[in-house]
Amino acid sequence: MKTIKSLLCVLFIMVSVITSAQDLGPLVQNVNKATDVSELIQVRSQLERFIVAQPQQWLAEYYLAYVDVQLSFRVPDKSEKSQYLSEAETYLNTLSELKETDKSEIYTLKGFRLYALIASDPQTNGPKYSGEIINDYETALGINPNNPRAVILSTLFKNDMAKFMHQPYENFQKDVDKAATLLTTENKTVLTPTWGKSWVDFALTRK
Amino acid sequence: MKKIQLLVLLSFAGVISVIAQQRVMEGKVMNEQSNVITHANVFVKGTIDGSITDSLGYFRFTTSQLGDITLCVRMLGYAELTVQVPVKKTMGLVLKLRPDNITLDNVVVTAGNFRLKGNGQFGKMSAVDIVTTAGSTGDLYHSLRTLPGAQMVGESGKLFIRGGDSNETQTYIDEMHVLSPYTTTGDNIPVRGRYSPFMFEGINFSTGAGSSEYAQGLSSVLALNTKDVSPITKIGVNASTVGVSGGGTQAFEKGSVSVNLDYQNLKPYYTLFPDRMNWIQPYRLFSGSSQIRFNPNQKTVFKTFIGYDRTTFIQQLTSTDNLTKRDFGMKDDNFYLNSTFQRTSESGYKIFAGAAFSYKNQHIDNAVIPADTYRDNEWEIHLKTKITKRFTDFLRLNVGLENFIRHDETTYTYSSTTHIDSINHSIGALFATAIFNINSNLYAELSDRMEYTSINDVWNSNPRLALSYNLNGIHFSGIVGKYTQLPENKYLLQNNKLLDEQCTQYVGGVYYEKKNKVYRIETYYKTYRDLALQEPTVLNSDGYGYSKGVDVFLNDRDLIKNFEYMLAYSFNLSKRKYQDYTELSTPQYATMHNASLSIKYSIPAVKSILGITNRYASGRPYHDPTKDGIMNSTTGFYNSVDMSLTYLASKKVIIYASASNLLGRKNVYNYTYSADANSPGGFRKTPVIDSSSHFFYIGIFITISGKTAYDVSNF
Repeated sequence: MKTIKSLLCVLFIMVSVITSAQDLGPLVQNVNKATDVSELIQVRSQLERFIVAQPQQWLAEYYLAYVDVQLSFRVPDKSEKSQYLSEAETYLNTLSELKETDKSEIYTLKGFRLYALIASDPQTNGPKYSGEIINDYETALGINPNNPRAVILSTLFKNDMAKFMHQPYENFQKDVDKAATLLTTENKTVLTPTWGKSWVDFALTRK
Repeated sequence: MKKIQLLVLLSFAGVISVIAQQRVMEGKVMNEQSNVITHANVFVKGTIDGSITDSLGYFRFTTSQLGDITLCVRMLGYAELTVQVPVKKTMGLVLKLRPDNITLDNVVVTAGNFRLKGNGQFGKMSAVDIVTTAGSTGDLYHSLRTLPGAQMVGESGKLFIRGGDSNETQTYIDEMHVLSPYTTTGDNIPVRGRYSPFMFEGINFSTGAGSSEYAQGLSSVLALNTKDVSPITKIGVNASTVGVSGGGTQAFEKGSVSVNLDYQNLKPYYTLFPDRMNWIQPYRLFSGSSQIRFNPNQKTVFKTFIGYDRTTFIQQLTSTDNLTKRDFGMKDDNFYLNSTFQRTSESGYKIFAGAAFSYKNQHIDNAVIPADTYRDNEWEIHLKTKITKRFTDFLRLNVGLENFIRHDETTYTYSSTTHIDSINHSIGALFATAIFNINSNLYAELSDRMEYTSINDVWNSNPRLALSYNLNGIHFSGIVGKYTQLPENKYLLQNNKLLDEQCTQYVGGVYYEKKNKVYRIETYYKTYRDLALQEPTVLNSDGYGYSKGVDVFLNDRDLIKNFEYMLAYSFNLSKRKYQDYTELSTPQYATMHNASLSIKYSIPAVKSILGITNRYASGRPYHDPTKDGIMNSTTGFYNSVDMSLTYLASKKVIIYASASNLLGRKNVYNYTYSADANSPGGFRKTPVIDSSSHFFYIGIFITISGKTAYDVSNF
């Protein structure tokens, strides 16, 4: 009888292994590793399939929106940029309405999407979205003051604005250091957002 | 026991064999024109088995799914494709994608239509663009006058489009009609829009052949959309050479409430820069407005806008005929309430319902002669509902019903005599539009508007056909349509049997946009009939006329870094026999040539945007009673060089300054003559000119709240 139990266990594990191929964890790792357009498009397509297969996983939609924003920075074509940012907006609006989502992360990504929108056409979108972007980061930090992504993106945006105004942004180094510390000390799980280090590295080259 | 073990082992082997059985799926993804699509996501629905297409449109992947499978193809800009693939068919699949609904709805270019904000392709403009356009003085309507089709009628400030009278342009906010979109001003002082451009997210300006959804716009329609969501809590104030204002928005999780108060008083301005008018009490305006937005979920929006304003001034006017003076005293109250509901159902039906109430009460002392009084009390209720649904890639339908209930009463009192005219009537309409996406390059729109006007008991059918064809990014568009509108109230009050005025429009155009460059050229021909005509003894509907011309528009934002130019030119030939024009003649407001060149230059080094606009219009026709015929003379040409400067003083302070007519040219719009040739000196000729040579506006906008910045806190 024991043998039967063991065999059934092995069978169960096998099935689990097959199913685990459809887990989000590896995809999140791919998201964090992807750097160029082809890698991002690849992981975007994997996330899209995952969402169709398992629509209840909000984090998959979060990462898809994140990859869309990343892609918008990297593709040269304006209408393609606009399509990625428009899809990201749709996902983020849906996520805002769900109770189980981490709202601090959602608002950070909303601000990040607006940052990409401004980057795509600074002359038009700069004056249009500057107020909203600050609002999104402030809301994200209001919910979780130790969200490293909100800290670093907010710092970068404030610094850019201060430069535009020909004014110093006194807390720049302090805030970048704070983001760097938060990134190393935050609770990391396979699924929770951990991105942001590249923006800290980018910030360190700025001033 | 051994049997059981054997069974389990067999099951185990079965599982292994299932894992081992992999099916290869292979094929190609293309669009309708058989062009390959790269990076399309092809996968077995419900699994993560799939791949993206390569640069030649090919895909290949393995799946462990057995039996018939559902293959899914996704690509941004295209409708999702799902196909059932039988068990034996796995190779050589050819999958064709069609554009998605958003692409289908956005790709359309309609002749005559300027979508100034939102997703429109041709001529995008934001509130910031509007206020930084020199000559706009922060006003929406003044800014629109720099677009092709708009004619320069400087003494009015209203929109006169393609040879049409100003009352032929209607304004709609969130699809609901606005009875009095312009402020009330004194004699020959240009009006402004009542509403701040910062309120609107979408500005659709149709310079001709507008959608059949919008009523009573014989020439043109300005459709404004307020923001569905206002996520930022903000408070701000501003002070300018004309007054002070303040307001802000409180955002909630599922909505927001915005309030704005504005007080304008031109007394200090006229003390600094005296004009040619004699003001007993200079222009004063108090206005308050509020908007409530509620978004219970992403697919439902409730919006209510409420606005009130009161204008008062007393201006001393001199009669051209007998040189008597009178104190023209204006008190004008305006109220506007607009409430709308929009919902998109799961099955894709877009439902809209709205109600609007416009109220105007005007009281004028010494209106025509000293010691008389004129009162105008007018209101309108507008009710509208419509439903839109895309049924297939090929067909979208838009069907709606609306009703206008209108009242107007004028009271004229002189000495002990009082004369009252009053009308009460309604306009009911059913409109339907079928939009056919024949293929991704060819689009047709067929619509009709059945309208009943109770005042004259007339039914009208207004059919309209629009075609648009895209040839490698060059859009060709043509429209033919019929439009009707009731005559102005001042005529209906005299004769309530007047027919609906009619206009048939033929519009054709070519449009091209690439990388921040927009080029468009349009030609149009309009015929008018049943226009109100004041003949010597009778007011009838025997008026008629035509208007034809060409509009050209160029906009380039990529020529030089931080530099943008916009060039608009309109050629128009217009003649009418209507109103007081008893012979077919060019109306006083119509000019043959109109041109404007606007440039903007952002100077990051000094945190400023500089704008310069030059507007030109050929001479206006006018009637000289000393010559034969009517409209027998022409004024000199109009030219004005305007400048504006926007300076970002700090992240919470914006300073905006503008000056009009820098060269100080004395533009004459018309000449008035004393009615009696026997008056002292014969016909006395008086030029109609601007009340002052220049208008200077300096405003400071301060954001008070902590969270936001670089934003005007006006809604």
